[in-house]
Order: sequence, then C-alpha cells, then structure tokens
Amino acid sequence: MAYASVIAGSAVIRGNVRGDTSLEVLGRVEGDIAVNGDVAIGPDGVVLGSVSGARVIVAGSVEGDVTATDAVVVEDAGRVVGDLSAPRIGVSEGAHIQGNVRTSGTPSTSAVRPAARAPAEVRSVASAPAERPAPRPMPAPVALAAVPSPTSAPKSSAAPKKAPPPPVIPAPRPGVRARKKLARR
Amino acid sequence: MAGSVVGAGLIIEGEFTSDEAVRVDGTVKGTLSTSEAVSIGADGVVEADVQALSISVAGQLTGNVTASSRVDIQAGGRLVGDVKANRLTIADGASFRGNVDMDV
Repeated sequence: MAYASVIAGSAVIRGNVRGDTSLEVLGRVEGDIAVNGDVAIGPDGVVLGSVSGARVIVAGSVEGDVTATDAVVVEDAGRVVGDLSAPRIGVSEGAHIQGNVRTSGTPSTSAVRPAARAPAEVRSVASAPAERPAPRPMPAPVALAAVPSPTSAPKSSAAPKKAPPPPVIPAPRPGVRARKKLARR
Repeated sequence: MAGSVVGAGLIIEGEFTSDEAVRVDGTVKGTLSTSEAVSIGADGVVEADVQALSISVAGQLTGNVTASSRVDIQAGGRLVGDVKANRLTIADGASFRGNVDMDV
C-alpha cells in the first residue's frame, strides 16, 4: 500500500517522528516513531527506538518495542529486539524476535487482511523470550491455563470478555501425542 | 522520484540528514541537511537550519539556509532567516526577512 510519508534509504533521522499519517521507513531513525497510521519498516530500514502505529509491518531492524493498535507483522527479513504488543501479531518464518510477545486489546479493524506470505499467528497470551524464530499457533487455551504464565499476563487474560478475533490460520487440532500430553496434565 | 517525503501531518523533531531529495509537506524541527534538493510545500513548516543543493520554499521556513546552487521563495512562501546561495529568487507575493549572502 502507499504510505503518505517516506524516509528514503539514505536518510538518517536523529530524533523523534510522530504524526497523524502513515509512514514508510527505508532509512535510519535513531529515535521513537509514534504515528496514528500504518508503519512499514523496509528491508534496509533501521529504527533504534520504539515504533507505534495502527498496523506495523517490520521487514527491517527495530531495536525497541513495537506496539500497534491493529496488528504487528514481522516479515521473514525482519528483526526486532524488543517487545511486540498488539491485538494481532504475526511473525513470519525466519524472522528474528527477542522480547516479550503479547496480544492484547481488540483490533481496530475487524477485516482479516490476506498476507503476502502467510505468517504464523501467535495465539499465546504470553510466551517465554523466543529463542525459536517462528512460534507456531498454540493448540488450545486449555493448555495455557494449566501452565502458570511467568510474565504479568493477568491483565491480558482477564481483559477480553468476548471471543478472540478469528485467526487467519485456524489453530490445528492437537495431534495424538499432544492430546495425550494434555490428558496427562 | 526517489527521496524522502515528510507528508502532511508528520512531525520530525531532530536532525535529518540525507543524500536524496526531501519534500516537506509536514513539519520538520531541528536541522535538515541533504546533498540534493529540498522542496517545502505550501503546507510545509520547517523550523530548522537547512543545508541543501537547492531549496524551494512554498510554505514556511524559519532558519538559516545554505544552498550550493539556488534558493527560490515561491509566492505564498515565507522565509525568515539568513540565506547563503549563489542564486536567489523571491517571487512576487513571497515573504522574506533575513540577510542574503550570494558569495559575491
């Protein structure tokens, strides 16, 4: 999609970027980005600071927290060292993420957008710091409830009274071994 | 056209350096430096010292301006600050306050 603002490949901004517009970062931003519109970090884009927007797509490098009111999508070339927090989070296979991943709140748009590459949706409320690049969709909320979540997730788990938004990829029914494991717990 | 676009509604506060053209329809505060052209649209507000190859002001620029080639203040444009450039045009209807040094 077209973004109203572009920070070109050779541009370097040492300072903050904010506003009521959409933004594509192809260059380098040493500071925070906080806009109301969509944000795309291009493959050569580098952000040393937090990023917040409506729908944030990271195909480059972000060292800072990424927050969105709609969705955060980390593409396979993306690298995020920081927390991801949005109602919907997608992490493509091959992406590097290091930080807490937390889905919370309700998305601002209910329309399910088709992704260019279908990213695996992270259904877990809270996960341990991800050593593995692509978290698979968790089998069932039942399994999570049995495991005491290490990070402070009571807010997220208590808040949504309504059913979570329909996933892009429906969670697969656990296989025989997984079901046995659940039965054993 | 390759280059950065600071769209309407975007506010950049800090140092902005680039090797490509910059078009400002939003707000830039701090410093702006590029080796290509800077073009400030009618809605653009720049409160920064600007250094560029050429600078065209159709909006507001408050700050000192250094251009390697030319500075043009369009009608409706407003520049408050010193100008250092070899070529300068101030259109009828433009506003300008500052010193001019054309390296004569």
